[in-house]
Amino acid sequence: MENFKTEIRFFSIPEWKKEEKYLREQHKKGWEFVAVNGLCLYHFKKCEPKDMIYQLDYNPDSIYQKYEYIQLFSDCGWEYLQNYVGYSYFRKAASEMEKTEEEIFCDDASRLDMMKRVFAGRMIPLVVMFFSIIIPQIIMQSRVHTPFNYGLLVFFCVMFVVYLVMFIAFAIPYWKYYKSAHKK
Amino acid sequence: MDSHIKKVYVPMTETGFYILLCLREEAHGYGIVKKTEQLTHGEIKISPGTLYGSLSKMEKDGLIQFIREEENRKIYCITELGKQVLDLEMKRIERLYESMEEAK
Repeated sequence: MENFKTEIRFFSIPEWKKEEKYLREQHKKGWEFVAVNGLCLYHFKKCEPKDMIYQLDYNPDSIYQKYEYIQLFSDCGWEYLQNYVGYSYFRKAASEMEKTEEEIFCDDASRLDMMKRVFAGRMIPLVVMFFSIIIPQIIMQSRVHTPFNYGLLVFFCVMFVVYLVMFIAFAIPYWKYYKSAHKK
Repeated sequence: MDSHIKKVYVPMTETGFYILLCLREEAHGYGIVKKTEQLTHGEIKISPGTLYGSLSKMEKDGLIQFIREEENRKIYCITELGKQVLDLEMKRIERLYESMEEAK
């Protein structure tokens, strides 16, 4: 039996909740998360199946005071695993949680704050690309009628859809938290 | 108190309120979590991501100040501005409570 495995999984920027779920499912099946690196390579090690909750935080400020940041989480029982493209990975066994299932955020105001940090750090470059490259290219390529330009047009249209889906996937939870945090 | 502070902190989240309440005495992050648990009889358990974000924001906005560090734990204390905000919030909650009692 192999004791290690590597899976390639792509999670787009707004999909960290999906990623947390994926890591939890793997641990339940007896695959403990070891690391993520390179281009979305997830490494696992064989383990006893266990319900382990995984959580991601995105907080560029924490780089400057990494020890304090990790210490606070570890005081609260969250094991720090690693950093990957700005996201910090934490886990805690469900059996160590008292009443309800814990998360690293306990209110929608702080969930919204996390989304704002992700937006500033990861989404803005994409929004800029969307408006400065993808949309102008679609307009330009649709004016020239050669097979090459047609190919480019198809490519940029696909990119247009991919980006749009990603923006919508980001906007939906953002709006949900925004409403919840501002209804006071 | 400028309008930014008022807009962000009045009214404030439950977590924000307990952070300021606890920081009338010096405390580090986990100290705030424990004390809040005590005060609320285990009802409120502040999560570290929420706490870390709130502490950074409150420090930037001058509601709390960093005092010193002990074994990688940053110790904070409330500032004058923080006290003013907490006071406003306490008055608001008192008013809510009074109205609720009257309406009973």
